[in-house]
Amino acid sequence: MNPILADIYSTVIPSALFVIAAYVLVWAVLLIYVIKVVRGLKKTEEQIAVLEEAVRASRPPQG
Amino acid sequence: MSKGKARVPEAGQWPDRLAIPALAAGTVLTSAAFLLAFLYAAPVNGAALDAPELVGGVMVTHQQLISQKIFYFHMPVAIVSFAALAFAAYYGIRYLSTREARFDTCSRVAMEISLLFVVFTMVTGDLWTRFEWGVWWTWEPRLTTYLILMLIVIAYFVMRNAVDDPERRAVFASVISIIALVDVPICFMITRLIPSSVHPVITREGGMAPDMALTVVVALVGMMLVAFGLYRLRFREARLEERVQALKEQLDG
Repeated sequence: MNPILADIYSTVIPSALFVIAAYVLVWAVLLIYVIKVVRGLKKTEEQIAVLEEAVRASRPPQG
Repeated sequence: MSKGKARVPEAGQWPDRLAIPALAAGTVLTSAAFLLAFLYAAPVNGAALDAPELVGGVMVTHQQLISQKIFYFHMPVAIVSFAALAFAAYYGIRYLSTREARFDTCSRVAMEISLLFVVFTMVTGDLWTRFEWGVWWTWEPRLTTYLILMLIVIAYFVMRNAVDDPERRAVFASVISIIALVDVPICFMITRLIPSSVHPVITREGGMAPDMALTVVVALVGMMLVAFGLYRLRFREARLEERVQALKEQLDG
């Protein structure tokens, strides 16, 4: 390879892995966190619906 | 509401309606920042080449420091971590002055978001350090003060898991959130007090070039919106979890 090009690529190619890793890690962790929170929200909403039904059923009938 | 009672944040209020649009806008802006970082912002020059070389129609005269591109996410996530810590401490102070448990919930969620962004800052910074310096860690002033900040944030969650009494836990947590905020200006100012080659003071060195500044601003606004959206979603989840607990206690009682 042309030594000048080799000199240019000597900083570009080895650093690519670190740059890609930095961006991918940030986006991947953010995505996982969003999925975790949204799933947690859905699960908690379902639990609330079941518990509210149980609370209503446990109350003595009025009148 | 009785006179003098603190207004407390609640899930379902108007900021919740902005959570998903903020997340979407944040995703678009951070993606745009990513593209700007690689396609618009000029690469930083390294050592001069022995002779200029034409690459892709551009005359290259220096080595290209592509690892510097990490900076376009690294700096914004660091600023967002500071902002989240400021909110956590604010709600910690509100808790200490009112003893309203809701403020403790707000502070805990803000602290969780700050932990996420503190970890992003450490990981992106370490990847840059590893490539440029060949080591994963160096006891440089800002790295050290930021490590202390991360340890304080981790200690916050360790403490929360260790203390059972909710009121004592909330008081301790509020105090730790304030201590964490005290470390923020120290982290920020340390490179001005102890000059470091790893973390240059940009304003002292003539500021950023317009292409770099635009990219950083787009990434910063995007990350702020993402953090806001995450905070509101997580706050809503935390409030629902508290409602589940209250319903369970009602059933048990």
